Amino acid sequence: MTDSLLSIRDLTVRFRLPQGETTAVDRVSLDLAPGEVMGIVGESGSGKSQILYAMMGLLAANGRAEGQVLFQGQDLLTLPPRDLDRVRGDALSMIFQDPMTSLNPYMRVGDQLAEGLIVHKGLSKAQAGAEAVRMLDRVRIPDAAARARRYPHEFSGGMRQRVMIAMALLAKPKLLLADEPTTALDVTIQAQVLDLMAELGRETGTAIILVTHDLGVVARLCDRVVVLYGGRVMEEARAETLYDAPVHPYTRGLLAAMPRLETALTPRLGTIPGTPRSGGTVSGCPFVDRCEVRLPHCATERPALRDLSPFHRAACHLTGAQ
Amino acid sequence: MLRFVGRRLWYGAWTLAALVTLTFFVMRLAPGGPFSRNRKISPEVQANIEAAFHLDEPLWQQFARFVWGVLRLDLGPSTRHRDYSVNDLIASGLPYSLTIGFWAIVVASLVGVALGIAGALRRNGMTDYVAGTVGVVGIAIPIFVIGPVMQVIFGLRLGWLPIGGWDGTWRSLVLPVVVLALPNIAYISRLTRASMIETLRENYVRTARAKGIGWRRTLWRHTLTGALLPVIAYLGPATAAIITGSILIETIFAVPGIGRHFVDAALNRDYPLVMGITLLYGGMLILFNIATDVVRAILDPRIRNER
Repeated sequence: MTDSLLSIRDLTVRFRLPQGETTAVDRVSLDLAPGEVMGIVGESGSGKSQILYAMMGLLAANGRAEGQVLFQGQDLLTLPPRDLDRVRGDALSMIFQDPMTSLNPYMRVGDQLAEGLIVHKGLSKAQAGAEAVRMLDRVRIPDAAARARRYPHEFSGGMRQRVMIAMALLAKPKLLLADEPTTALDVTIQAQVLDLMAELGRETGTAIILVTHDLGVVARLCDRVVVLYGGRVMEEARAETLYDAPVHPYTRGLLAAMPRLETALTPRLGTIPGTPRSGGTVSGCPFVDRCEVRLPHCATERPALRDLSPFHRAACHLTGAQ
Repeated sequence: MLRFVGRRLWYGAWTLAALVTLTFFVMRLAPGGPFSRNRKISPEVQANIEAAFHLDEPLWQQFARFVWGVLRLDLGPSTRHRDYSVNDLIASGLPYSLTIGFWAIVVASLVGVALGIAGALRRNGMTDYVAGTVGVVGIAIPIFVIGPVMQVIFGLRLGWLPIGGWDGTWRSLVLPVVVLALPNIAYISRLTRASMIETLRENYVRTARAKGIGWRRTLWRHTLTGALLPVIAYLGPATAAIITGSILIETIFAVPGIGRHFVDAALNRDYPLVMGITLLYGGMLILFNIATDVVRAILDPRIRNER
């Protein structure tokens, strides 16, 4: 793919722990076109957030990323800190999970927004401040000019996440990484915040990678979905394909566990039995313990990610047999 | 902000009043008086002396006299140091205590904070190791051990600095200031290090890093405020304690400060002097605590809004 904005090749993230090394992300490869919205879904510990942290150079001190993350032709993993700082916050920005603690409590909201513009775009304090107010207005903070002079504790959770969105989109990034941006928010405002993010993304032509465990959110917003399990890509497809014709047993299990309006009140929600294995390196398919249709060699042979159609890939021995 | 300070001063004044009142009466509960002696003196002489200091009046009248004096900034005559008023004694000793205390707290905060930050940024590195060692040594070894050891090394062996007394130059300041600062360097550096490490883990510091504004800006604008708030909270009472609590230092280094008066006055039942020094120390403690609160309120908008 020559027109890709982002091209991740064999990204592996490992953490050194007292009891040994653990692999959080295992040879993940992804491509993203400009303006595209991609969802990464998976349960807790599937490594979905760590992909984003690795890209931003924000891995914990005991974490290490290998492979290649080509963003606009530069490998983010090998970039010296100074050059990485030129990219992040400018062409590449990120929204975090917890808006309550992600803003600096000691700084005025407007100043926190303006700061990035001053550093990256060389704007004066006044210009950057005016831009910040305009952006706050666009994320529908009422009375933005006065609000910009306030501190984070004077904002509600939903408003703080909108401030984070404003901050992330202020520099008109090419790619926005959103790490479960609505998990910490009230259900009633989750949709509102997500729609706002998607809308502004479209306006600025920003591509988005949305990490979530909410398949409903993904269905609404994403062009393409990547299903992650045990740090590996299980299945990747266009959103509608994934919902209509999932092939991987894990994807099917996830979809069966999702409440749907049309089948409401029928027996019980499906569950996937068992829990994800913690730590250790798997030689076969990471899902094998919980898979209901496993084959004898699933535990020993790693299934390759195969193309099923131009926009559909899955890593399962069963699909190879088809 | 002005109202905030005003209110704190108002409450501070009441606290001080309560402290002074309590001290006045508790002091009288202690057996003996300023002119109780082993040597017998005739009752007439005793009565005369006590009358001269108004000790023959009922207690409430003495208290009223004392309060009236405080309001006129006159703390009365010392019963022990004849011909000196308490005002004279404080005026002559306070400059020394203040000078030593001021420099000690300046040295302790600068060195302590710097060591703490360096330790937190390069955890388990050389600086961290050295700072940690200094910390343990500074806290574990008491002043009355470090003081004489320093006197022997720098005063007697090397002959670089005077071992005590006051020659009016910076040279006689060095040893007392260093010895007084040492335990505080230790404490402040440990406090700074812990608080810094905690702040570096904050989500908002991660946000700052994600903004690509460079590590310097991330450190100065996004990490230090949060990291130094607990240190500032400690500095208020510590400053008061250092300025006033240098009794040991003044004794070891023979500095003519007011620290020594405190113990002497209590032992000699020098009521006016005890009251004067209590007033002074209490006032200082309250003032420095208010100053700390004001600085914290300036730095932290959440504290500001609470009041």
